[in-house]
Amino acid sequence: MRVMKTLLPLLVAGWIPLTAHHSFTAEYDSKKPVELKGTLTSLEWVNPHAWIHMEVKDETGKATKWDCELGSPNLLLRNGWRKDSIKPGDVIIVNGSAAKDGSNIANAKTVRLVDGTRVFNAGSSGDPGTLGAPAGQP
Amino acid sequence: MNSALILIAFAGLAHAQWLDYPSKNIPRKADGKPDLTAPAPRTPEGHPTIDGLWVADDSRHLGNLAVDTKEVPFQPWAEQLFNERRAHPGRDDPEARCLPQGVPKVNTLPYPFKVMSMPGETVILYEMFYLYRQIFTDGRDFPKEFLSPSWMGYSIGKWEGDDFVVTTAGVNEDFWMDSIGHPHTSALKVTERFHRSDVGHMQVNVTIDDPKAYTKPWGAVIKQHLVPDSELLEFVCEKNLDPQHFK
Repeated sequence: MRVMKTLLPLLVAGWIPLTAHHSFTAEYDSKKPVELKGTLTSLEWVNPHAWIHMEVKDETGKATKWDCELGSPNLLLRNGWRKDSIKPGDVIIVNGSAAKDGSNIANAKTVRLVDGTRVFNAGSSGDPGTLGAPAGQP
Repeated sequence: MNSALILIAFAGLAHAQWLDYPSKNIPRKADGKPDLTAPAPRTPEGHPTIDGLWVADDSRHLGNLAVDTKEVPFQPWAEQLFNERRAHPGRDDPEARCLPQGVPKVNTLPYPFKVMSMPGETVILYEMFYLYRQIFTDGRDFPKEFLSPSWMGYSIGKWEGDDFVVTTAGVNEDFWMDSIGHPHTSALKVTERFHRSDVGHMQVNVTIDDPKAYTKPWGAVIKQHLVPDSELLEFVCEKNLDPQHFK
């Protein structure tokens, strides 16, 4: 339960689309939530935004490529990510907001490994304003 | 449920394991945590020191420098440009193309900056986009002419009581003062008053004086907090894929 208390405010904080070095609202629609389950093709670890490239299969087995924007590698590092936290071939679940233009691009808010062992704040909907965003930081 | 959440690897939990080399010269409580409300440290000259790693409390002023301003005193052309920029949020923001944020926007970023004072000069290193400023405190005035207006401009600083007062001029017109797009001209003069109230807190009072773009000066107060036991990380804006998504 202690863990839950820590997790929830952070997840909530991660859902607030803040403006950072680009305009979230210019590209993504917070009213178009997506949950993508698929296989990681590559993690592009590059500033100012890291990207998840993944393949999502529908019920018929047809695969679609998706690109998911994350926060900067710096922000991810401070939030506990490592460059190899998720590896090609891992099955992941990304929750986020879809691109306004309807392309297969999303802004990631959280990333989970499919076995449920790890949950990552993706810090992407405009880089939370505080480092690592620990709740209650003075 | 708990088993799914035990290995959470973000934020406060992992934060303590990363970049956590203890800063020296920060007063600490009995439990070893930084005492962020202790009185601000002072120099032999008697004024507070603002040296250290700082970051803005939130992104409100990054989004809109005038977020707390009732009425921005636009010149007509500046208001028209501002409205054009607002109509296409972020589309033309130079920062989205990895160009420097400029002064005063560097005070509003969600990444830390490091202040380092030395005789005759104070240097600020900004993590985001790998920027720096040299603020001359050796008593000089501005040059008679700015031969090459720049992103960060030319800054001179002095202490007035407990405030470190930095005046900047000589900026170019190639950056926006915030994400929403408040414009400026090369006539811009920015005054930043850095006031550290205690160990962990500082505010930057920014005054925008640009008679070509605004009929009178206006400003903002941007709150910062100390980032103890941490360091700057390299942040080269290498590849921003966002612009290709703008419509």
